[in-house]
Amino acid sequence: MAHVAEIDLNVPDAELARLSAETGTGLSVDELKTIRSYFAQEGRNPRDIELQALGQAWSEHCCYKSSKYYLKRYLFHLDAPQNLCVIKEDAGMVAFDDEHAYAVALESHNHPSAIEPYGGSATGIGGILRDVVCMGAQPIALVDPLFFAPPTTQRALVPKGVKHPKFIFSGVVDGIRDYGNRVGIPTVAGMTCFHPGYLGNCLVNVGCIGLVKRSDLIHSQVGGVGDLFVLAGGGTGRDGIHGVTFASKELADDSDTSSRSAVQVGDPITKEPLIHACLEANEKKLLTGLKDLGGGGLSCVVGEMALAGGFGARVDLDAVHLKEEGMEPWEIWVSESQERMMMSVRPEQLDEVLAIFKTWDVTAVVIGEVIAEKRLHIRWRGEEIYDMDLVFVTEGPMYQRPLKPVYRERIVPRYDEPDNYADTITALLRMPGIASKDWVIRQYDFEVRARTVAPSLTGRIARETHADAAIIQPLEGSKRGLAFTADVNPYLVALDPFWGAASAVDEAVRNIAAVGARAHSFADCLNFGNPEKPEKMWEVSQAIQGLAHVASKMGATFVSGNVSLYNEGPAGACPPTPTIMGIGMIEDVDTAVTVPFKQEGSTLYLVGATKDEMAASAYFRLRKIEGGDVPKVNPYLLSAAAGCLAELAGAEKIRSCHDISEGGLAVALAEMCLGSGIGADVRLTGTLRADVALFSESNTRWVCEVAPEHCPSFEEMLRSRSVPVQAIGRTDGTSLHIAYNGRELADMSADALYVIWQQPLWEIMG
Amino acid sequence: MRTEDINVCILRIEGTNNEQEMYDAFKRLGAQPSLVHLNEFSTLEGFQCLMLPGGFSAGDYIRAGAIFASRIRSTFGDELSSFVKDGYPVGGICNGFQILVELGLLPGDGQGVTACLARNDSARFECRHTILKAVSPKSCAFTHLIPEGERLIIPSAHAEGKLLLSGGSQAALALEKAGQVLFKYVDEAGDENAGYPWNPNGSPNNIAGICNKKGNVFGMMPHPERTFFKGNEHGYSGKTFFESVLAYIGETF
Repeated sequence: MAHVAEIDLNVPDAELARLSAETGTGLSVDELKTIRSYFAQEGRNPRDIELQALGQAWSEHCCYKSSKYYLKRYLFHLDAPQNLCVIKEDAGMVAFDDEHAYAVALESHNHPSAIEPYGGSATGIGGILRDVVCMGAQPIALVDPLFFAPPTTQRALVPKGVKHPKFIFSGVVDGIRDYGNRVGIPTVAGMTCFHPGYLGNCLVNVGCIGLVKRSDLIHSQVGGVGDLFVLAGGGTGRDGIHGVTFASKELADDSDTSSRSAVQVGDPITKEPLIHACLEANEKKLLTGLKDLGGGGLSCVVGEMALAGGFGARVDLDAVHLKEEGMEPWEIWVSESQERMMMSVRPEQLDEVLAIFKTWDVTAVVIGEVIAEKRLHIRWRGEEIYDMDLVFVTEGPMYQRPLKPVYRERIVPRYDEPDNYADTITALLRMPGIASKDWVIRQYDFEVRARTVAPSLTGRIARETHADAAIIQPLEGSKRGLAFTADVNPYLVALDPFWGAASAVDEAVRNIAAVGARAHSFADCLNFGNPEKPEKMWEVSQAIQGLAHVASKMGATFVSGNVSLYNEGPAGACPPTPTIMGIGMIEDVDTAVTVPFKQEGSTLYLVGATKDEMAASAYFRLRKIEGGDVPKVNPYLLSAAAGCLAELAGAEKIRSCHDISEGGLAVALAEMCLGSGIGADVRLTGTLRADVALFSESNTRWVCEVAPEHCPSFEEMLRSRSVPVQAIGRTDGTSLHIAYNGRELADMSADALYVIWQQPLWEIMG
Repeated sequence: MRTEDINVCILRIEGTNNEQEMYDAFKRLGAQPSLVHLNEFSTLEGFQCLMLPGGFSAGDYIRAGAIFASRIRSTFGDELSSFVKDGYPVGGICNGFQILVELGLLPGDGQGVTACLARNDSARFECRHTILKAVSPKSCAFTHLIPEGERLIIPSAHAEGKLLLSGGSQAALALEKAGQVLFKYVDEAGDENAGYPWNPNGSPNNIAGICNKKGNVFGMMPHPERTFFKGNEHGYSGKTFFESVLAYIGETF
């Protein structure tokens, strides 16, 4: 029989720790002491529903208590003129044109995906869609950066309680496919990264971009006293209990059984009409506020919406429509069941709102109202079961946790040149991080909504290569487009969190520039280990500073993001992974540039400077070479170079362009060949050793194909802005031919390169 | 009748999700499309064309298109039969094609449901650009402006697109002979038997789209509404499908 229990906090400290574990609230002893003194003032003990609500609100996931200090200090003050409303709400809002704004949201769904890959990733998509819809925006694109241990990992190496990475990889992709395709939002960009460090804790990051008329922009706050809280969508059930507290601790070997109920169950066919109905009600100006039910469920949404408007709330818990009988009141209050949205509505507009939801066959019910006093009262079966000050609940603690720097000794590696460069290039193209991801990409509908003008696979039909960024043209009658990319190299971040994070921003900017767009905004998803471990917390603080180092010079800032800590499990912590989603703007999508070579006889240029920065490069990993220097970033050079490329692309002076990342120059050239079948005759000169010149992963570099008549103006512009540029050869024939300082290194047919690069993931995944 | 007087009903339920691009296609050409939710549907009267867009209607959980087809049958099945009999065009793209097959309107020999769109041979969702060769485009209201033999690049995105006919390969040949096979999947060189991935789903005889005997009911798996602007070297694109049907209506009614 469901009931409400009083929790006695007047017990010894040791008992408090046990109480936290027993109730699953995840509150620390110090936090419980703060709660104890609050209730001492109230003259009573808390009830279970109140303590549970505090556990949700004060979780790392909800209140960013470990990272907030650093984010505020280094990132949040950065601003850009195009930013409209950033950081504060579920999605950042950035100007698209005078009439429209776009919404940006990026989140992690790591822990649920590690336990239940299909449901975890599907509900990740569901959640990020709601973050965009709750700003009144129509979702237009999904972006999915994914991180797994290699699917070829031997079974014997997989610890108890951990699922095999091939199973997780496959399940995660299935979940994204079945949810994203069914709701009809194109999955246009992302990344799939393999690193043994993700064995116990995969990372599933999900991004979404939406578009809204500025006049329809709505906020996650109530309008005024008397507004009604209308809960719409799926029923509330026992799926997704303690999702945020589960996400705010390390995974254990029994998480599969102990925390299965933390994973929600997704239902895209409830979500799809829910999106239509919410957007329709908002466009008709029938809502005063709109917010999604995500982490913490009702317990977070009601209080946050009320307090953001400067008010409080009264809730009738019996009105909430349930999936099952016999739920405890606290379970109803904290459940993270999917496909739910909360609206605040003036009473006189209620009937019209309910009629819209009825047409779409979506349940919508009134569950409470806004009151003047900044408190929250809940009634259940005729009794008051919750009465707390909203500021106390919502503010949450902020910590400046101890840091322990980990500086690695500088190792000067000694290694010989490879005997056979063609074999090395072949081996690099077959590395899971570099090889074609079409096994993943083609399972996603990347063109639904018919606005994808440059998809993530580009080139001749049936031999497409990866695009640097996908482009969406969101508005009828406007040529303006948005470019999307997701980037990070965890191998690099693990060696040096500052330059690793800086490099991730560099790569995002590079990819955006490569398609002819300008960086316009960023979102970050910071996936790290346990912040209570000083060396892990140091990684977080370093990475945040690395992001700021580059972003502060780009004229585009971090407008939204998410911090996911405690990514540790039975196999250890995941590599530090600050995932960056970059959004670029292109004035005319018809001038967009793609990767594959376009025609023979063009001049090829290397833009940017190659240095002996080989640490964590694919080449070093392939050859198991330790040490070397990590690639650094000069943000001024990056800004100048990216600006030049966007300008040159806009003037249609670039035929094709590709950024240089994993595998270095040689792999970039191969990828440009294999998407078209057109070869290249490349004759490099330089002072570096040949393998460094070909495989270094120095930042801020691109290969550009330029028509002979545009070469003088191309070179002139880059030189005038002090961007290094070097002619390295021309497009020619059907094979890739590379020579260095007069020495012949490789000659490989474009057709063969395509097969080498395209096959590996299919061989593994089937 | 004039294009600006042509009313197109684009029908949707939960999970239909290609309706906006279909709406845009008709709107750009000056017709009057309406997005109509089945719950708000009252009659086909006043409409000259019915379109069933792509997506995952009702989640496609039983069989692709089965739930929407059954709801259409119970809501306005009889009216739809007369609409087709009167020669009004009815088109289905992707999920819409699956629905028309589930309704028995395609291939539509009056024998009820005689075909199905089965799971792709690859057993997976396939999102890829496909090349379609026009086989008998003149026989259908939706394709008559496309010259025979013309090759168009039209994107495909589906998990269940393999057209199986109850009469097997003989039925397929008969269908082709009757001029009801509109498009076949081919490779860059125009080869009809290039196999996967040119034929993304394994459809026997590489059939991508068909019509009924009369030519006014049309269904195909690839999405013309997704390539409205991008013409081939002769200027034909997804746009031509919508121009065709509007021209047909203009001349017929």
